[in-house]
Amino acid sequence: MLRFEKRENVSTKLKMFIPLLSIMIGLLIGAIAILFAKINPLMAYKAILVGAFGSKYTFTETLVFATPLILISVGLILVFKMNFWNIGAYGQYILGAILSSYFALFLPTNIPKLLLLTIMTLAGLLGGALWALIPAVLKAYWDVNEVISTLLLNYVALYILQYFMYGPWRDPRSHGFPLSKMFADNAQLPKIIANSRVHLGLIFGIVAAFIVWFLIKKTKLGYETRIIGGSKEAAHYAGINVPKDIIIAMMISGALAGLAGMAQISGVIHLLQIQINPDYGYTAIIAAWLSYLEPFTAIIVSILLGALAAGGYQIQITMQVPFGIISVIESVILFTLIGSEILLRYTIHLEKRRKT
Amino acid sequence: MENIVLEARNITKYFPGILANDHINFDLYSKEVHTLLGENGAGKTTLVNIFDGLYYPNEGEVYVNGKIANINSPLDAMKFGIGMIHQHFMLVDTLTVVENVVLGFQKQGFRLDNNSIVKKIQEISEQYNLKVNPYAKIWQLSVGEQQRVEIIKMLYRGANILILDEPTAVLTPQEIDSLFLIINKIKSDGKSVIFISHKLEEVLKVSDRITVLKKGKVVGTVNKEHATEKELALMMVGREVLFRFDRKPTADGKDILKIENLEGYNDRGVKRLKGVNLTVKSGEIFGIAGVAGNGQEELAESITGLRKSSKGKIFIGSCESTNLLPSRILKKGVNYIPADRIRTGLIPNLSSVDNAILRCYMRKPISNTFTVNFTKAKDYANKIITEFNIMVPRLDAPVKLLSGGNMQKLLLAREILEEPILLIAVHPTRGLDIGATELVRKKLIEARDKGAAVLLISEDLDEIIMLSDRIGVIYDGKIVGLVDSKNAQINNIGLMMGGSKNLNVQKG
Repeated sequence: MLRFEKRENVSTKLKMFIPLLSIMIGLLIGAIAILFAKINPLMAYKAILVGAFGSKYTFTETLVFATPLILISVGLILVFKMNFWNIGAYGQYILGAILSSYFALFLPTNIPKLLLLTIMTLAGLLGGALWALIPAVLKAYWDVNEVISTLLLNYVALYILQYFMYGPWRDPRSHGFPLSKMFADNAQLPKIIANSRVHLGLIFGIVAAFIVWFLIKKTKLGYETRIIGGSKEAAHYAGINVPKDIIIAMMISGALAGLAGMAQISGVIHLLQIQINPDYGYTAIIAAWLSYLEPFTAIIVSILLGALAAGGYQIQITMQVPFGIISVIESVILFTLIGSEILLRYTIHLEKRRKT
Repeated sequence: MENIVLEARNITKYFPGILANDHINFDLYSKEVHTLLGENGAGKTTLVNIFDGLYYPNEGEVYVNGKIANINSPLDAMKFGIGMIHQHFMLVDTLTVVENVVLGFQKQGFRLDNNSIVKKIQEISEQYNLKVNPYAKIWQLSVGEQQRVEIIKMLYRGANILILDEPTAVLTPQEIDSLFLIINKIKSDGKSVIFISHKLEEVLKVSDRITVLKKGKVVGTVNKEHATEKELALMMVGREVLFRFDRKPTADGKDILKIENLEGYNDRGVKRLKGVNLTVKSGEIFGIAGVAGNGQEELAESITGLRKSSKGKIFIGSCESTNLLPSRILKKGVNYIPADRIRTGLIPNLSSVDNAILRCYMRKPISNTFTVNFTKAKDYANKIITEFNIMVPRLDAPVKLLSGGNMQKLLLAREILEEPILLIAVHPTRGLDIGATELVRKKLIEARDKGAAVLLISEDLDEIIMLSDRIGVIYDGKIVGLVDSKNAQINNIGLMMGGSKNLNVQKG
């Protein structure tokens, strides 16, 4: 017999313990999925760990995967705080990548590296921000549901990318593959760790986390976001300009996703292509959520999700585990974490019925 | 009074840091209305939540019809014939009355046999005089009607013991009267009622016995015949309660708020304001009496800019302010205590600090051009909390954890400390206990004495008469009468509230 009783108070210890417990349960359930691939789950998890943290090189790979997640998730946190559900980081990421590629591909090649990278960074920010502006304005002035508008705009963004890749920006020497030509060296973000793929984008991410933390905790905008997220009626009552805040916050959120797109093509891929790993836009939603909307926690969560991805690629190669399994584990952990919220809100008593 | 249908023996319930119920004994006879009386936080709701299976006692037992009852959930409670009607109704807005009545009802099969359900609902409606259209959607119903749906729902499921948690807090005087008739019918039908309230007058009207709780303990149980308002108030609060306030004589101040022929619509497009004219002067409390739904809330929202008016003019000071943005009106020195304090006036999930600075976060010293100084914000919240004696668990705890009275004190403090030239207070003491009510009223009078113009909107006629200098009666979107509170006659005001006009009152 299960009996649910509301908790009046939640201790910090519990707040730490319950997520850890639910991650463990998630890994246990994930183990079942791995068993279906006829692989020993313990070996697989060990291989993931080794693949993610086993050596200096693998750890730098983890950081490479984590970089876009950090940038996008901290931006999402800002709008999630105001109950604006931006599902469109995927599209904002793509637009940031496209707009910054334009400058990488078409500005004269002899332009100073610092200047070009600055232009590309601004272009990445702007591309994402403008793409996010569309759903923000629709929401602010006509109350269009942002989940639908941002989600649908993701497809539009993908088609725009496909247009450029199959059309005007395709490298004539790509043998028909939808790839742009390689970026020149002055359009590539510098590496920050030698002999690795870790690039300046990681620093961008950490700075972004700090900025978002500052915005939320210290500024009028952050305070107003909290009010809007807490109660629309109260925001109206307080005389807050809600449409303005929605637009500003959403443009910041989009800008960071766009910057993630720029950092990825400029720091890792060095060209524009259809496969620019835009799934980051969705995984970052998980990262933002798992971090309880705390920007610095989002860095850690992003690194853990990055580790899962990096380790996942490793076991894909070494143990022939399909990468889909990694997605399954990611999702199961999200489910168990969301499900665990009930443990934070209720105490559950297991007891026998007393005789009546 | 015959057999005991429900009995609580030595019920103790603690939450972290709070002893909500301390060895409580309580019994309920059949055919009885037994009232639990006490201030907010006295433990009334905790006790009935135990009867309803929402909480489980740490010690003690509940007996139903003489047998130990182990109640683990509201579903269990229903099996023992206990049905609870919460202060905030548990109805689904978009479903019909019929759908709400059968929702979650275990004996309901897979297929909904609408005809037989409707028939049974109609039977119950007639038997207990619970008029409601079974096909109406909940959002279309008034609060009083929604409460009737809740009662029907419980009776439909065969409840023998009805628990009503502060049922009158949301009702108009007329609706309260009809609720009491319903309660009497239910009682004479052999069922029992546990009634929760802290309005003494009502309690004496409806109950057979009254148990007074204070700080989680039973102070005593008295029969209605032996109880007086004064005595109950003393038991409840532990000290004498002020029913009168000292105040300065009415000053003849200048006009602060002037409304001319104001018209406006509610959210559903129904015209609710049909030409309101009124003037409020500095240094006076202008009370608006009226039955709920005659345009009071639309009026308050129009003045504060939260609702657009369709016709007419509003002047604040000497400038016109019709349909300005809320932030502009706020800057003119207009503060507002809204009826919906939990979602509009306060943000339930945010801390006391965040809620305390809602009106001043954009100004120095709390903030600079861009940033908010939360150290100063904390100091400010601390100041409010001490000055108004507000009980908070911690400054950073969400305000939803505060009791209703403390929430309202926080809201009132925030608005009054802005030193408004015009203060609009809508139902400022609704649902508050005696102690908090007293403080709120005292502070409104203090604001008036300091020279603010106060527009008081309340359904509590006694409160209007007690506090106001002048009273306007609103009916069907118009001010139908103006009365000086010195020669106010409750009967006349009551009649005007019902729509009768021109009963020897001065027009103005």
